[in-house]
Amino acid sequence: MALRRVIYVLLAAALLMTFGVTYAQDDIVIDFYFPSATANDAEGIFERYAGLFEEENPGVVVNPIFTGSYTDTRNTILTELQGGGAGPDVAVMLSIDLYSFAEEGYIIPAQGFIDAMDNGADYVNDFFPALMANGVDEMGNVWAIPFQRSTPILYYNADLLTEAGYDSPPTNNAELVEIAQALTTDERDGLLVPVAGGFPIWMYQSFAIAYGQNIVSDDPTEVYFNTPEAVAAVEFVRSLGTDLGVGPAGGAAWGDTPVAFLAGQAAMIYHTTGNLTRILNDADFEVGVWYLPSGPAGDDGAGYGAPTGGGNLYIFDDGSKSAEELDAIWRWVMFLSSPEIQADWGATTGYIAANASAWETEPLASLAQEHPQYGIARDQLQHVGKEFSSYATITIQGIINGTLESILTGESEDAQAAMDAAQEQIDGILAEYR
Amino acid sequence: MRLSARQRSLVGLLQPYLLIAPTLVLVLIFNVAPAFRTVNDSLYKPARGLNAAGRPPEFVGLQNFRDIFDDTHYMGGRFLRTLRNTVIFAAATVGIGVPLGLMTALLLNRGQPLLGLWRFAVFYPSLLPLIGAASIWSFVFSDSIGLANALLRTVGHPGLNWLGDRNLVLFSVVIVNIWKQAGYFMIFFLAGLQNISRDIYEASSLDGAGPMQQFVYLTMPLLRRTLLFVVVIAFTFAFQTVEQLQALGEGGPADSANLLLYLVFQNISERRNWGYVNAMTIVLIGLVLVFTLSNFLLFERDEPT
Repeated sequence: MALRRVIYVLLAAALLMTFGVTYAQDDIVIDFYFPSATANDAEGIFERYAGLFEEENPGVVVNPIFTGSYTDTRNTILTELQGGGAGPDVAVMLSIDLYSFAEEGYIIPAQGFIDAMDNGADYVNDFFPALMANGVDEMGNVWAIPFQRSTPILYYNADLLTEAGYDSPPTNNAELVEIAQALTTDERDGLLVPVAGGFPIWMYQSFAIAYGQNIVSDDPTEVYFNTPEAVAAVEFVRSLGTDLGVGPAGGAAWGDTPVAFLAGQAAMIYHTTGNLTRILNDADFEVGVWYLPSGPAGDDGAGYGAPTGGGNLYIFDDGSKSAEELDAIWRWVMFLSSPEIQADWGATTGYIAANASAWETEPLASLAQEHPQYGIARDQLQHVGKEFSSYATITIQGIINGTLESILTGESEDAQAAMDAAQEQIDGILAEYR
Repeated sequence: MRLSARQRSLVGLLQPYLLIAPTLVLVLIFNVAPAFRTVNDSLYKPARGLNAAGRPPEFVGLQNFRDIFDDTHYMGGRFLRTLRNTVIFAAATVGIGVPLGLMTALLLNRGQPLLGLWRFAVFYPSLLPLIGAASIWSFVFSDSIGLANALLRTVGHPGLNWLGDRNLVLFSVVIVNIWKQAGYFMIFFLAGLQNISRDIYEASSLDGAGPMQQFVYLTMPLLRRTLLFVVVIAFTFAFQTVEQLQALGEGGPADSANLLLYLVFQNISERRNWGYVNAMTIVLIGLVLVFTLSNFLLFERDEPT
């Protein structure tokens, strides 16, 4: 009997615990969905931020909900909303998801909130302009606020470069090829560019920009995928694994690239700033970081370029939310994008803190002083371009990725012909939006 | 209460239906109804363009099917390639995996030392969660740090780009699939073999039958039902493959290892593609149906009752 009583008590306790997280009747609850693309303890960090926010904002409860990868997060939200569910109040989604969600009418612009602020212009201008580019529509309305942002940079094994007689990293493509060839051995690749494995578009965009033409513009109905610059850029990337012989044919896989670099099997790699903290911590050699080398668009450095990446904060409303709820939601967005939180977030995770003043705020200020590599990632932002995004982003991105893969793996030998065919398909889709 | 003869016959008539009703209702709600919905939706194109969410879909007849079978269409190119891959993949995993399972079962059906350990070793891969197993394989196949290439390099081969070479990657996924499933098939064959009475083999030995003759004329006919079952589940598994692709390069490069169900999964998130996704699902269901029916017809023919 005693045992049965214990079981009843335990069951009752378990039931109470499930309902234990009860909110006071008039609390405003913010459901906040976030993905994680790195090995950081994002859940723990957001629980901490939610606690800090709730202290400052009595009557508001933030409910951080981890929703897997970026793709999982997007699919979760779409499934909930398409099925008539509530969905999140605020979510971190890819900065390029803007048009997909705006088109469906699920999100609202942040512009209205910014206009209502006393110092709205200061708030917006504190963000690095490059990081704002993907969150603003063609009319100049701000929709999404930068949060966990990244950009590709060049990582190099400084010990190997010094050994081979190079005191400084390559600053243009010619030097890049020269150093990569000098450092390539039977056991080591001179340069790994992660364009293999389904998502070559991001790294490819770096080269397209360096060749003088980003494939995307401010107009979401225009894509420039078959320009001479776009073709020359992919041919250069392909040649790294073929004629130039500094890496594997078809490019390296995303996840293998930093592993090979840390193991000394790659002298230089292109990779995301999101891995900076991990690489600095794990390398047993001196890690150098520099801007992605410039292409023919300006060998003197004017052709520097990379796309931005990562996630923005989006506000969800189908028109049913009260002014008080929206006010609380906007305060949470401002909290997450404040210099204090961005400085903490950037220092903990390695994402680029999105506002200039965060870099003068602790703990990021000291960290950037201690490891100048962080500052280089930030300084490259002045040269970076918009990440690919258009109407029907996912479909068109799929066409571009498939075409790039078929060119890079050698299946389509004639890059121009493959890109012309892709551009025709893309224009066919975008015609519905023009 | 006594029931009249008529009432009893009515109960007798209804009883089986009442017994299967719970299952039937679930099947109707979760399998049959969505299938009909899919057929219906495959005839529509969702609204496209600005403010698409508020507008109704447009009836287009069989246009979605024409598009996915059109090589120059953005979805058609992917679909046709993926369809071809799926057929190759199913043929390869069934054609190699099932005989391999049968062979291991035959080997393990004899008494030998450490029998339990061997059985466990062969069966073990099917106990692992698929996504975990495939993730391990993605490291094995890694270009610079993988076990597969490390082994190749010890014999002087420069190594292969297992997941990056478009001619190789489907083969790599097939390897993982066979490794994962052959042990599972083996268990069914083993159970089937152990149901065959030893007496039959002894009698045939007395009649002068050798091992090969015993296999062809005794084991195979008696294993026929097991074989049918294994082949059918092997085919359906092959058409359901998703997790391996998620871990092994997401069907790339350029869809060279993509499979139908994964292509469907990849395209559900954008509204504009829902018509294509439904059309592809119909083709997938049709394929599975054809394979399964032809298997039944093939194997059930001349079945002694």
